[in-house]
Amino acid sequence: MTPLDSRSNNASEAPPRAAPPQGTQDLLFEAARRLRRCETALARVFEEHGFAEVIPPSIESAEVFADGAGSGAEALRAVDRHGHLLALRADFTAQVARIAATRLSGISPLRLYYRGSVVRETAAGSGVPRERLQAGCELVGEAGPGADAEMVALASASLLALGIPAGAARIAVGTVGYFSALIAAAGASARLARALTDAIDRKDLPGLTLLCTREVPPGKAREALLMLAQPPRRQAEASALLSRARDLSPGEPASAALQRLSAALDLLQAREPGAELEVDLGEVRGLGYYTGLVFNLYAAGAPRAVGGGGRYDTLLGRFGDPRPAVGFSLDLDALVPLARPA
Amino acid sequence: MITIALPKGRTLQATLERFSRAGLLPEEDFASTRKLIVPARGAAARFLLLKDPDVPLYVERGAADLGVCGLDHVLESGADLLVPLDLGFGTCRLCLAAPKDSAVARGWRSGESGAERGRSLRVATKYPRLAARAFARRGVPVDVVRLYGSVELAAVSDLADAIVDLVETGRTLEDNGLVVVEELLQVSARLVVNRASYRLKLEELLPLLERMGGPP
Repeated sequence: MTPLDSRSNNASEAPPRAAPPQGTQDLLFEAARRLRRCETALARVFEEHGFAEVIPPSIESAEVFADGAGSGAEALRAVDRHGHLLALRADFTAQVARIAATRLSGISPLRLYYRGSVVRETAAGSGVPRERLQAGCELVGEAGPGADAEMVALASASLLALGIPAGAARIAVGTVGYFSALIAAAGASARLARALTDAIDRKDLPGLTLLCTREVPPGKAREALLMLAQPPRRQAEASALLSRARDLSPGEPASAALQRLSAALDLLQAREPGAELEVDLGEVRGLGYYTGLVFNLYAAGAPRAVGGGGRYDTLLGRFGDPRPAVGFSLDLDALVPLARPA
Repeated sequence: MITIALPKGRTLQATLERFSRAGLLPEEDFASTRKLIVPARGAAARFLLLKDPDVPLYVERGAADLGVCGLDHVLESGADLLVPLDLGFGTCRLCLAAPKDSAVARGWRSGESGAERGRSLRVATKYPRLAARAFARRGVPVDVVRLYGSVELAAVSDLADAIVDLVETGRTLEDNGLVVVEELLQVSARLVVNRASYRLKLEELLPLLERMGGPP
């Protein structure tokens, strides 16, 4: 018998659970120090901008993360001894929305920040950890494009605070409002809407063209949908893209969404002229609760988005206090290795 | 610097031709060099030579900014990628095939899975994810056997009731007494791009994409 065989046949010799569960890790010494330094730098920026920390529990009633309000299906769930279905925290925004809508109901505006870990089931081999370390901000009770711009600017300032220069980062800004209006105007079924979202999200122009020709009636909405798989544009060159999108607007909701986006971009330009912005009307993926402006952050050295956020004007209503809100979160697992905090 | 993942399989020549349209040529001939990384001639780019199914993962993880590989490998890998261009070559079909006159070949269209009573349909394939997905969509329970080659053999040697495999001309199927039961996917070579590279290197990538997608 080879040593390999004897090992696998005699499992009792191996220490139990020698490694932490798949997709999680132990942070020791320098790694822990680096994480804490980044968290501290971020907490300082958030507080300088008037945000106050909240610490929600690490377990929640599973319905807080329900489908349509984020990552319900990805949450790690268990039934407690009273028969309640609980979930490990899968998304801070839903928890902060619950807090804002209940204990902080009626206080507007609210500027809240958080830091900690979220646990989501991820595809094995995707390289995305199950337990992610995050920090983020939520601005509750402000509906205008000024609030949208404030949050994108704060996200940009957060990257700077981590020592990631503007030139090594990109912020892709879009709006789900335009896409939702097109879906509604085209009378798309839920299945077709999912297929369109997927094709647009993957910039799959051939696939999108096929879907649109087969299943979307000809007209402005179809033309506009096809445009969503076009590449993003740097902000300076985005006006042509936006005016073409306006020309193809099938109705008032689509035009309003674009107007909101343009207003936020203008305010952002004035506020943060150095930020490397790209306008991408195809930024349609993300947690299901976004209703308006959405954005994703990219940093040189990380193969996927290192953070993102957007406007979610209907989420607080699920907890009984319908108020507009906008926020973002940063993935510290991705950012800490790139960060050089002061 | 842009890093490009090339598939070393049968689409390599067509792929290189397409990159040459965009002015990107490897400094050395891949046929004569043993190097796995070759710089592009006079450009801030380099080529990696990979086995076709490895291309999506190199690009997803950011070891390459973009690459070329068949839609079959893109979807089978499950990698989270952008797929902006259909390059139009390397076309074939991913098909469900079974021995002529078998229960699968006869029963599939009438709603029967063709499995023996009391056990699931057994399907051999190099594409377990795509095969499982195709059967799940039809609500047919399936026992997927993952193979690495000669998939046709599985269906004529009693390893499996049917196979899911690429079909180019159909000759191999025919020679082994197999017939196509259903076409599952139209395959062609795709340009795949890493999500972060697409944003961070937009200025370099946009002209490249345009020239690769445009006329020669």
